[in-house]
Amino acid sequence: MTARMDEGTNALEPSASVETRLAALELAHQHALREIAELKGRDTLKTQFLANISHDLRTPLTAIITHAEILRDGILGELSARQHESVAGIIGGGRRLLEMVGEILTYARGAANQLEIVPTEVAVGDVIEQVRRLNESLVARKELCLEIQVAPEVPHVWADREKLAHILGNLLGNAIDFTPSGGRVWVHATARHESPRDTVLVEVGDSGIGIAADHHELIFQEFAQVDASASRQHHGTGLGLTIARRLVELHGGRIWLESELGRGSRFFFTLPTQPQP
Amino acid sequence: MTKEESRPLVLIVDDSPHVTGPLRILFEETGRRVVVADSIGSAVRACEAERPDLMLLDVSLADGDGLSVLEILHGRPALPAVTVALTGHDDELTVQRCLAAGCRDVLLKPVPVRDLLRHAAEWLPERIASA
Ligand SMILES: Nc1ncnc2c1ncn2[C@@H]1O[C@H](COP(=O)(O)OP(=O)(O)OP(=O)(O)O)[C@@H](O)[C@H]1O
Ligand SMILES: [Mg+2]
Repeated sequence: MTARMDEGTNALEPSASVETRLAALELAHQHALREIAELKGRDTLKTQFLANISHDLRTPLTAIITHAEILRDGILGELSARQHESVAGIIGGGRRLLEMVGEILTYARGAANQLEIVPTEVAVGDVIEQVRRLNESLVARKELCLEIQVAPEVPHVWADREKLAHILGNLLGNAIDFTPSGGRVWVHATARHESPRDTVLVEVGDSGIGIAADHHELIFQEFAQVDASASRQHHGTGLGLTIARRLVELHGGRIWLESELGRGSRFFFTLPTQPQP
Repeated sequence: MTKEESRPLVLIVDDSPHVTGPLRILFEETGRRVVVADSIGSAVRACEAERPDLMLLDVSLADGDGLSVLEILHGRPALPAVTVALTGHDDELTVQRCLAAGCRDVLLKPVPVRDLLRHAAEWLPERIASA
């Protein structure tokens, strides 16, 4: 918009007549509107493309994984230890790829406003436990200490169970990913009295590498990673937090963090305890 | 009843051979017979002609909503005893829609082979017992 106005600077100069200046402004305005419309159109196309391609990627991946599992489970005959190891590698790689494709699909649907939540009364503690179990082996492998604390008075939340698990999974996944071996990771849930609705505050924290204040905004943006270089240690889509934020906001909650480089991170989000009045 | 016919029959409804291919191998190698259909129309015809014991149903078929197979066969003897939805999304809306349409279970593709085998024993109890 500013760039466009600059072009019309002459006409906009105080020496020009009011009519000329108004006409120039109107022209610049029209131009800006057209550009916005065109950019929006292109963005929609790109989002739709992402949604389509990730959906189509799932199907052949399904074939790869299922065929490999049939082999692994000995349905077509016993495998040698080495064959078993190799087939397990195909399955592990395939499942990881599927997860990433799933994240891209969720992101694209969110960006296209196609994500819907179906809230019910949910016990946060149960979902935390479900997500803890899913991450158990990772936590053990990195020799992390994972502590869960759900205050006894924490009420049920009004949330979409699957989506809540997704939010927690992404935050806990990050806490595990960005904490060196032997570190601490925790999930706490407490009740908060807020108006107009009481909420539950969930904290996912870690004693890991931390995030500089400069990056606190950036990391919630799609594809953004603090270390985006090709040599980076961590391999992910950079969509985990974008999705987490989108899902929290769909519930009417808030998400934020407290962190400093080298001093661990604490991510917080709130969820309502009752339907919107 | 011949030995061949005593084996339970599984109808797999999906428009992608990426899905039906491995499932056919899995079920045939574990003592079941398999029929495949790739559309609403062919699924209905297969139910009428073959009377499968179990139908695994993709909810999004090329010619429309897979759940309409259940709607068309509703109350008719050709309706399989057990139908299980196989879907690409396990969001709450899809799950509720499938259960409301009469599916016993809703499973996200790719369903782990171990889960499929465990479930299949539940879905096909009588025939397994008599087989
Ligand atoms: N707990 C954390 N500690 C340190 N850095 C973090 C933490 N959580 C997120 N980050 C930073 O924020 C970036 C974006 O996180 P996000 O979850 O969106 O994507 P990702 O983890 O890189 O990819 P994916 O979620 O697909 O694995 C990360 O790459 C990392 O730089
Ligand atoms: Mg992440």
